[in-house]
This record gives sequence, C-alpha cells and structure tokens, in this order.
Amino acid sequence: MLLCTFFWSLTAVNWNGPIVHTGGGSAFITFLSALFPPELSPSFIYVCITATVKTVVFASAAMTIAVPLGLVLGIVASGQIVENNSPSRYYIIITTRLLLGAMRSIHELVWAVLFVAAIGLSPLAAIISLAIPYAGILGRIYSELIQDVPNEPIETLRSAGASPVKLLMYGYIPLALPDLLSYTFYRFECAIRASAILSFIGIQGIGYEIQLSLHDLLFDQVWTLLIFLVVLIVLVDLWSTNLRRRLMD
Amino acid sequence: MTSSGGFKKWVHSKRAPSLVKMSFVSIAALSILSWTIIIIEGDTGFTNLFDSKTWGNASRFIANMAGIHDSTTPSFLVLDRWLVTGVLAYETLLMSILAIFISGFIALATMLPAAKNISSGEMGGIKSTTGTVAYYIVRLAYAFSRAIPELVWALLIVFFLSPGVLAGALALAFHNFGIIGRLTAEVVENIDPAPARALRTAGASNVQIFLYGILPQTLPQFLTYSLYRWEVVIRTTVIIGFVSAGGLGREFILRLNWFHYTDVTLLILWYLILVLCVDMISFWLRKLTKFS
Repeated sequence: MLLCTFFWSLTAVNWNGPIVHTGGGSAFITFLSALFPPELSPSFIYVCITATVKTVVFASAAMTIAVPLGLVLGIVASGQIVENNSPSRYYIIITTRLLLGAMRSIHELVWAVLFVAAIGLSPLAAIISLAIPYAGILGRIYSELIQDVPNEPIETLRSAGASPVKLLMYGYIPLALPDLLSYTFYRFECAIRASAILSFIGIQGIGYEIQLSLHDLLFDQVWTLLIFLVVLIVLVDLWSTNLRRRLMD
Repeated sequence: MTSSGGFKKWVHSKRAPSLVKMSFVSIAALSILSWTIIIIEGDTGFTNLFDSKTWGNASRFIANMAGIHDSTTPSFLVLDRWLVTGVLAYETLLMSILAIFISGFIALATMLPAAKNISSGEMGGIKSTTGTVAYYIVRLAYAFSRAIPELVWALLIVFFLSPGVLAGALALAFHNFGIIGRLTAEVVENIDPAPARALRTAGASNVQIFLYGILPQTLPQFLTYSLYRWEVVIRTTVIIGFVSAGGLGREFILRLNWFHYTDVTLLILWYLILVLCVDMISFWLRKLTKFS
C-alpha cells in the first residue's frame, strides 16, 4: 500500500519535460568547485558575522514575545484556571484551541509575506511574523504539558482550598516546569533556523545574504554563508540537546 | 582535546556554574541584547505601529483580501477558481508525499551505519574501521542536511533542476532525511539486542537479522516520525513554492505580486484545508501503526 502511494505521488512529476535544465549539469559542477576555497576575505567574513548576529537577534526577540503569549494562551487552553463546573469553560477552551491552531498552521514565512504587505518591510514585521506561529505551537504544547501533570499533588492542593490561580502557581506550573523549559529551548533552536529563512523576504540575515550571493552567481560566497549557517545551527543544536538532557534528569 | 577529562570533571563539579544556570543567564542576556540592537538600529517599524497610515494600509489590505473593494466577485466564491486551484493543492499534496517517501527511503537505507550499536559491531557483527568511518560520514551528512533549511535547498536545487514538483520534493526530502534519519538511528540504538543475537547464534544471515531482528522493532517508531514530519512538510511546501518549485506556494506569491488579493485568500483557504486533512490522516495512521 505504501508503495502504491509512492508511485501515485510520482505521477505528479512532469517526466516528459527536461528534468535537469539546460546548463544545469555544468552549473552544478561550477557550484561544487566553488567550495575550494570558499570566499574568505575579511570584509566578507564581516558580512557573514553581521548576518549571523542579525539572525540570532530576530530569533530571540521573537521568542521574548512568543513565550509569554504562548504561556498565557496555553494556560487558558488547558482549561485549568476556569472552575470545572462553569458552563463557559468548554467554549473558552475550544476558542483558544482554535486560535492557537490557526496561528500555528500558517507558516512563519506566509505570515511574514502577509505582514510585509500589510505593515511594510521592517524588523517589526519579521519579529511578529515569527512570534505568531511560535506562540501558537508553544501554547498548544504548554497546554498539553499542563494537562499531563500528575493528579495527586493537585488534588491535595485543591482539598486544602486553593483557588484555580493558586493551583496554577503552586501546582501545575512548578510540576510541569522542566518539560516547559525543555520544550521552550527546543523551540528557540527552531526559531533560529526559521529566522534564517525569514530573511528571504528581504529582512537582513543569513538567508538574505545567501539569496543575494546566489543571484550574483557568487557560489564561493554562498558556500561561506552555508558554512556559517550550518555551524550556527549545529552549535545551537548541541547546546539545546545538552541542556534538555540536563533538565530532564 | 587532551584536557577533555579535566573539563568534564570541572563541568560536573559543584563550583562550576551549571549548564542550566548559565543557559538562563545567557538567554536573558541574549533577549535584552537583541531588543537593544533592534532599537539602536532604528527604523524598527514601532513608530509606524502608532501611525494611522499603517493601520489604514493594514485594514485596506485585509479588506482587499476579503474582496470588499473589488468590483468582481471574490475568487473564493467562484466554484471554477476553487477547482483550478484545487489542482494545485493536489499537486502540493503529492509533492509532500513524494518528499516524505524519498527522505524515508534515504533514512531507512542509512539508519544502520548511523546507529552506534550497529556500527560498533555490538549486535554481534564485527567491529571494523569501515563501520566507524561510515558512522561519522552518515552522521555528518544528517547534520548538514538538517542544518540547511528547505528553502535554501530549494534555491540551490532550482539552479540545476527545472522548477517543478520534483525539485520541490527533493528540496524537502534533503532537509527531512537528516531529521528522520537521526531519529530513526536513535531508535535503532535503543532496540533490544536479544532477538538479533538469538538470530545470529541460530545462524541467520545479515539480511535475515536485519529483517527479523532489527526492522520489526524500528518500523513503528520510524513510521510515526515520518508521519510527524509529513505534517511539517505539508506546511513547508508553500514556502518551497515561493522559489518557484511548483504547487500552491508559487501561485500564492504570484497572486500576491499581481495584487490578486482574493486569490490569495482562496489559496490560504486551500492551504489550511490541506494542513487540516494531512493532520487528520496522519493522526489516524499513527493510531494504526500503534495498534499493529
């Protein structure tokens, strides 16, 4: 059955047209040979470093918005601050869930294109368009983590007469904290990757520089930027993996 | 690193600031620093935020999307347009399926050398330098594939291949095989070695050990990860389309550039439908793999 699906998906490819376009082969060879050596002039390295810094800056600025927003929405969506017997509880949960779903199902780059069209090309557009889908996904995961908290401590607090807000402050959040933090760090790592792509719509960053160099056919510069991107992401990846392992212990 | 042992000792000693603490401080510093840089750079767009002109533009944009000022019927109310863009949505769906199959195949083919317990011969095989070298090569390829975003892959690929479904699917596959491969390799590393060892002592060939000792334990997790990635891939197909790799994304960016705003709305609707469907199918299939 899986194989059938695979062959079915192959029908979408236009096999009659040329698959490798004219000059594609030689372009590939030129591209590969540009790796030896990549562009290493100090002025270009400076460009790379600024682009890398910009990428990280936008990612962390977006996360500072996304985390509080996601936390608030996540708490509401988990339904734990509303009394169990209140009739509006169901509607509140469904509405926030739908809101979070809508926020995260649209990719950050689509948000970015829309925001640039609506409010103009500015860092703000980039930050907001990164923050919205991230708040959406953080909110969803936060709400699930808060719901997965073991029940006994919560029941003890409740029988001691704690209000829903107190339950949250002293019950749910401290219990879920390692998971919450771990997931936030994972998302921070993703945000850096996303921020690199986001710059393709014209906001400064690694992606923008890659696009510029590629359009100028300066493949050696493309390689340098790719190396910067890979190193940045691998470093953040290592950091976040180690940190999450530590948090989980 | 000669002092690696000393470094490790330092990290685990009480005097060293723990990684967790250090990370918090650096994250806090990073966010403050980021905002400072953004504000110092000026032209943040924050002043525009309180400008009536920006709000006018934004609301006009939304009105255009809803087709309020349009003299013609908005495209999302015309059945014909739905059908035409439906073909593109179908193409996008196939592109995502193709992508996930390619990356799945590569991941399955490379998961053995990428798993430490297999490449080091722990499963009863012989430890060889080839195995170790293969381990590092495959792991490096995974890291490289993961670190480069789909969009960059797509930009590079359309230089060589003609733009279309295949180019887009390849770009998506190149980014995803590293992710699926790494996750699957971790599954292989955590499998129970007993069945494979038993098979080996019974005189089974390597292929038989793989088929009956390793694959059954790996496949369910592998399918789950692939399905999860499929959900992500369907979301990114649109992005790939931005660099003319076919499907909904290309149409989206073209319509936006031509100011056909109601078409943009229609495409977003299709996109949301696709995302929703894929999420549901994947949820259903994941349940299926768990029970089998």
